Amino acid sequence: MTRSAPSIRARLTGWYSVVLFFMLLVYAAATYLAVRHEFFEQLEDQLHDDFESAEGFLSPAADGRIVWASDRYRDPDEDEDKGIDVWAGGGEPIYRSRASTSLPPIALPAAAAAARYESLDVGGRTWRTLTASTLVGGKPLVMRVSRSEEKLRAQLAEILGVLVLGLPLVVALASVGGYVLARGALTPIDHLAAAARRITAERLHERLSAPNPDDEIGRLTAVINDTYARLEASFDKLRRFTADASHELRTPLTVVRGIGEMTLKDPRSPAEYKEAIGSILEEIDRLTTLVDTLLRLSHGDAGTVRLSPETLDLRNLARDVAASLGILAEERSQRLDIEAPEPVMATVDRLVLREALTNVVDNAIKYGPSGSRVLIQVSADRDRAVLEVRDEGPGVPPEHRERIFDRFFRVDDGRSRQTGGTGLGLSIAKWAVDVNGGRISVGSGVPHGSVFRIELPRATASSRDDDSLVRTRRGEHT
Amino acid sequence: MRVLVVEDEPKIAAVLAGALTGDHYEVAIAGNGEDGFFRASAEVFDLVVLDIMLPGRSGLDILQALRQQRIHTPVLILTARDGVDDRVCGLDLGADDYLVKPFAVPELLARIRALLRRGRPSDVLRLKAADLELDLVARRATRGERSLDLTVREFDLLEYLLRHHGRLVSREMLAHDVWREPRRATPLDNVIDVQMARLRKKVDAHGTPRLIHTVRGVGFVLREGEP
Repeated sequence: MTRSAPSIRARLTGWYSVVLFFMLLVYAAATYLAVRHEFFEQLEDQLHDDFESAEGFLSPAADGRIVWASDRYRDPDEDEDKGIDVWAGGGEPIYRSRASTSLPPIALPAAAAAARYESLDVGGRTWRTLTASTLVGGKPLVMRVSRSEEKLRAQLAEILGVLVLGLPLVVALASVGGYVLARGALTPIDHLAAAARRITAERLHERLSAPNPDDEIGRLTAVINDTYARLEASFDKLRRFTADASHELRTPLTVVRGIGEMTLKDPRSPAEYKEAIGSILEEIDRLTTLVDTLLRLSHGDAGTVRLSPETLDLRNLARDVAASLGILAEERSQRLDIEAPEPVMATVDRLVLREALTNVVDNAIKYGPSGSRVLIQVSADRDRAVLEVRDEGPGVPPEHRERIFDRFFRVDDGRSRQTGGTGLGLSIAKWAVDVNGGRISVGSGVPHGSVFRIELPRATASSRDDDSLVRTRRGEHT
Repeated sequence: MRVLVVEDEPKIAAVLAGALTGDHYEVAIAGNGEDGFFRASAEVFDLVVLDIMLPGRSGLDILQALRQQRIHTPVLILTARDGVDDRVCGLDLGADDYLVKPFAVPELLARIRALLRRGRPSDVLRLKAADLELDLVARRATRGERSLDLTVREFDLLEYLLRHHGRLVSREMLAHDVWREPRRATPLDNVIDVQMARLRKKVDAHGTPRLIHTVRGVGFVLREGEP
């Protein structure tokens, strides 16, 4: 992570600089063009003014010729950067200022056509000119006013120079600034990484802290903390499971060992030996079941269970389970009823799902009081098939509902060996429902008792035709 | 009847030998794969009990070699609890039946009896033990003069006990053969116990000598006198 952070920093800065460079380039070009345009417009305005004021210098003489009356005002000849040329309609010059003598004379017919601005290069100097025809004293004249562009071009060059030199400088400064900012923004991630690395399996209860929980880093921290919380929960679960499993395995082993040692200590009657061996065999039976069940669950965890799904009516499954466990309910004077008004199809592995239902119903019978009712309900909503098992037992307290499906979890620790279960029945049920793509949950019944709810994806009734086929094939196989 | 046991674990081999000898079989034991294959192909046995996990040469290997040599002695394989593939593989290679370790000895004996009986027609129409009589055709049960009112399941259960008259029947066997469940589970164990208690109440009622006995930690047995 530390190796990639500088690269993010560098990349950010790089992109930032490139984008900034192009933006500034466009900005500079636009500025330059706008300024240039403005300068020329100003120059032309000045030429226009020059033209009008020059008209004032012209007046008809006594002989009817138009003459340049330079003595009335300051002589324009003194200005090196301005020129005025006046021609009579016939082409003979009336006046040419000193500065503009180097400029070529104008082509009269063209000049007479319309007023026009143009730039003229003469001897290394560029002039901006306005040529137009006018009437003085009723006589047509052609007049050209000109101003040197030197000063304007020098100013433009200066501006261009500032822009061209300034641009890389600004981009370079911005890059440095951007890098510093990016580093500043990304440093908390480095800190986060370092802090996260310190949290090991033994210190999973620790959490990362963020200065501001609402910014991006804060949210990232929250996500990481959330992950740690889940990790800690599964570690706890695993730790508890290992402790529970070794306890459950150790108890029968202790019994076996104790009986063996006690029996061998003194001579016994054959009946006593029989009793002892029988008792040992019972414990071994318990151990075998336990190991077998754990192994199946671990197969489930590893995802190596092979399923043979078929589309079936859950009502049949409910009837099947009720028929098989009915005798246990009878023993406890309980009523085991099924409420299933209409066919509910689901595509599941029949044997695996049956195991789930068997365990849940067995649980309901076990915890339901004598004389109570256990009800299996089969129903469906739009896309889910639902199996519900209601009992009238003590129910599952809300604080235990999360863990009731955990391996070896018991609401009442004392009951384990009396009820004879392994403490894995509901875990197996959960596993069996999960692999069939469903979910199992527990809620409370009305007015009391618990409701175990198995939800499965509902199959369309049209696929019912496959049912008999699949079953036949399974039948052949077994 | 001669049975060859190919099993490398001496304690298990001794248990098997003891149980089989007790049921009047003649037992030979091979402690490794090579020896097992040599004896199975050189001598004549009625049945081979073959462990899959053997040092040297695996049980599946031996099974395959035997079948390739056209030796069709029935073979019952023993597999570890986790070896689902072994089981399938073994049946594919020509094993006749399998048992998963740890197995119950009565079940092993029952399986062996079934394998040895295979192919012989079962023409039994009535089963008897002491004054208990089962008419398999009419599905009627009587104890002495008394007619027993049995449910379908109870009749099947009693028939199974009678077929294994005098021999131990484990819960695994009942789950598998009477309830036809693929595996034993705690709820089913409870069902079997309750069912057995009810059957016993009907069969052994009214002061008649007890026929159905519970053998603690093992299972049940139907026999006259004490178990």
